[in-house]
Amino acid sequence: MLSRVADSLYWMSRYMERTDGILRMLKINYASSQDDTQEFSWKPVLRIFSYLEEEEAAVIANQTRAVLQFMIADKENATSVLNIVTRGRENARSVQDHITKELWVCLNDFYHSIRDGNLSRGLQYDDPVSILDVLIRQGVHYYGIMDITMARGEGFAFINIGKYLERGVQSADILDIKFSDLQFDLSRADITYWKYLLLSISGYELYLKTYRSGFDARNVVELIVLNEEFPRSVIYSVDRLQRYFGKLKGDRNKEAWKKIDFMIGKIMSRVRYSTVESILEEGLHAYLNGIKEELYEVGIALNQHYFAYI
Amino acid sequence: MQTGELLNSYNVDSHTWDEMYAALAVRPQYQGVVDFLQQMSIDELNKKEELAKRLFMSQGITFTVYSSGEGIEKIFPFDIIPRIITATEWAYIEGGIKQRLKALNLFLKDVYNSQFILKDGIVPVEMIYSCPHFLREMHGFQVPHDIYVHIAGIDLIRDQDGTFYILEDNLRTPSGVSYMLENREITKRIFPDLIPRNNVRSVTGYPDILHRNLVSMSPRQTAHPTIVLLTPGIYNSAYFEHTTLARLMGVELVEGRDLVVDNHRVYMKTTAGPQQVDVIYRRVDDSFLDPLVFDPESLLGVSGIMSAYRKGNVAIVNAVGNGVADDKAIYTYVPAMIRYYLNEEPILKNVPTYQLGNIEEREYVFSNMDRVVVKKTNESGGYGMLMGHTAGEEEITRYKEEILKDPRQYIAQPIISLSSAPCYMNGQLKPRRIDLRPYALCGPDGIEIVPGGLTRVALREGSLVVNSSQGGGSKDTWVLAG
Repeated sequence: MLSRVADSLYWMSRYMERTDGILRMLKINYASSQDDTQEFSWKPVLRIFSYLEEEEAAVIANQTRAVLQFMIADKENATSVLNIVTRGRENARSVQDHITKELWVCLNDFYHSIRDGNLSRGLQYDDPVSILDVLIRQGVHYYGIMDITMARGEGFAFINIGKYLERGVQSADILDIKFSDLQFDLSRADITYWKYLLLSISGYELYLKTYRSGFDARNVVELIVLNEEFPRSVIYSVDRLQRYFGKLKGDRNKEAWKKIDFMIGKIMSRVRYSTVESILEEGLHAYLNGIKEELYEVGIALNQHYFAYI
Repeated sequence: MQTGELLNSYNVDSHTWDEMYAALAVRPQYQGVVDFLQQMSIDELNKKEELAKRLFMSQGITFTVYSSGEGIEKIFPFDIIPRIITATEWAYIEGGIKQRLKALNLFLKDVYNSQFILKDGIVPVEMIYSCPHFLREMHGFQVPHDIYVHIAGIDLIRDQDGTFYILEDNLRTPSGVSYMLENREITKRIFPDLIPRNNVRSVTGYPDILHRNLVSMSPRQTAHPTIVLLTPGIYNSAYFEHTTLARLMGVELVEGRDLVVDNHRVYMKTTAGPQQVDVIYRRVDDSFLDPLVFDPESLLGVSGIMSAYRKGNVAIVNAVGNGVADDKAIYTYVPAMIRYYLNEEPILKNVPTYQLGNIEEREYVFSNMDRVVVKKTNESGGYGMLMGHTAGEEEITRYKEEILKDPRQYIAQPIISLSSAPCYMNGQLKPRRIDLRPYALCGPDGIEIVPGGLTRVALREGSLVVNSSQGGGSKDTWVLAG
């Protein structure tokens, strides 16, 4: 496979995973903003998913409609869903002969619907949940077509490598920022706070089934970092990353493969052989940040050994 | 309103050959479509038109116009009423194009090798040496199977009595074939059952024939040669076509930066290291192909690719240097080439052409500017053209001055009125001028022409310019089976 093609597939997939993450986050935080006794702040969301400085974020942090507009349809915001989908689609456009036509049409339709002027108007005046639902469904459609139509070859491996790398970083990020919101004081925050955090990454129901004793911050950490059955957990993401990278093993490019496999393996054992206690002992922020950094390094190494073509 | 009225409002210009109407009666080949249209209401037709647009948009059959930092997707206008060619007409066109291509191929081989045609005085030597597309780099080089023109898109028009004329030979990187394929797919969607009922010949074989021909060009004797389609990249207006062809043939779509030359061999950079490339179907113009040989500023090409080509380690399709044969001034000599190389009379006629490099012809043209169209010999796509009957006095004066600076670079032709075909416009059928570009493929086993082609339409009323860059659209093109 061409290096350029691998690169584009990987980034298409990262952008689409990010899109899904942002949209779900926005949907749940919107619900949370309607269910708050005090004025709801969008600051954590803006910190995770945009490049806004503290002060800039503060300006719109309490205006729900403005945040939605900014995060979804703002052309000037490099991290808006509009721009991320556009980039995902541009990547797909340059590798149309490596994805199925159905997948291309689906991404292309997503792109056209997000650029539809009615969307932006709707965000101002209509029910935002309906709009977010439509967009989320477009994303799910993408995942479905990917699963059903794409050949299980090298391209599929790169797509999944991008997807799970992005997801691992995102989950670590969300946990990190949500807890930094509480100054890492695990005894603070009430039940609604945890509930919406879990809902935003589709982990609420699993939490209820796993832990029957009510909400405890330590259990939240355990679920999001260490639960192997939770598809958005850090451990699940790294496990999949390792599995799909394993499929690239071959006679050629052996050295590079071994090096990156080692890097991923190291992250995997770091996560697998952690407990909530050991994580808290190390410091939640330091731990999550460390994992994020190592995942970024895998990204850089992929770039160097697999995608370099210029 | 019923569509009966829709047909009644169709007024054909009496000085124009209309593809559908002859002496106020529907030509038999159009009867099936006319009957079909008559069952439909305007509302239904409008819906069909809407559906066609949506299908083009959704599949990304678009080109992107970049303005103020963001891309806007545009579709090439598509007219829903097909253009129909009878079996007899097609047999004639097919024979004419095959004959012409055979001669043009022989001409290219000759002009880059022994140059008999120049020595015998059939084509003047100065016509060749003054042509910017004559590339000395190709001299004395044996191309695989002696084929220069693997893919040709020859443009045909019809004048008022229905005679076909060759307008242009596109022998470099002719585009538009994806529209031949996609327009047909759209017709299948918007008019179910219409195609089988009318006995229309299929065009879907095109990518398979092309792929088979590309495989046969491989310099390495291997069962699965590596074939790539070289594109200038996603910013090119024909990018959609490049991806479609790559997908339909199952070959790799590459950009210049994906390729590298080492020891006169071309490799593509893959995730598993370099992989040797055998055949390059390039959609990059000659001048951008190799910065070491041609334009040193080019980022679209590959350094060293010409040396690999000349060593015979890679095949390039179409061959480099074909521009010398489709130059608008050389065009005049094609009938003479057919007589010279094949000893046959040309089947398809040329449009009479005046060489402005020739003083007598130039003087004639200058005093009859309102009756001619003047073209630059090395431009295409409708650029650098002057339509004498619509141009203003000032424009003509300015253009004449330009011509006098370098008369060899201009030709003039009498204005041919072009045939018209019905187009669906705002609930009415209107005659609009059309041309025809069939796509011919040459391989070691001969020349094949897929029964169909691209019909381009001048959508503006009265306009004779069909180029997409000048407000043209396209139609699905049907060739009927006997």
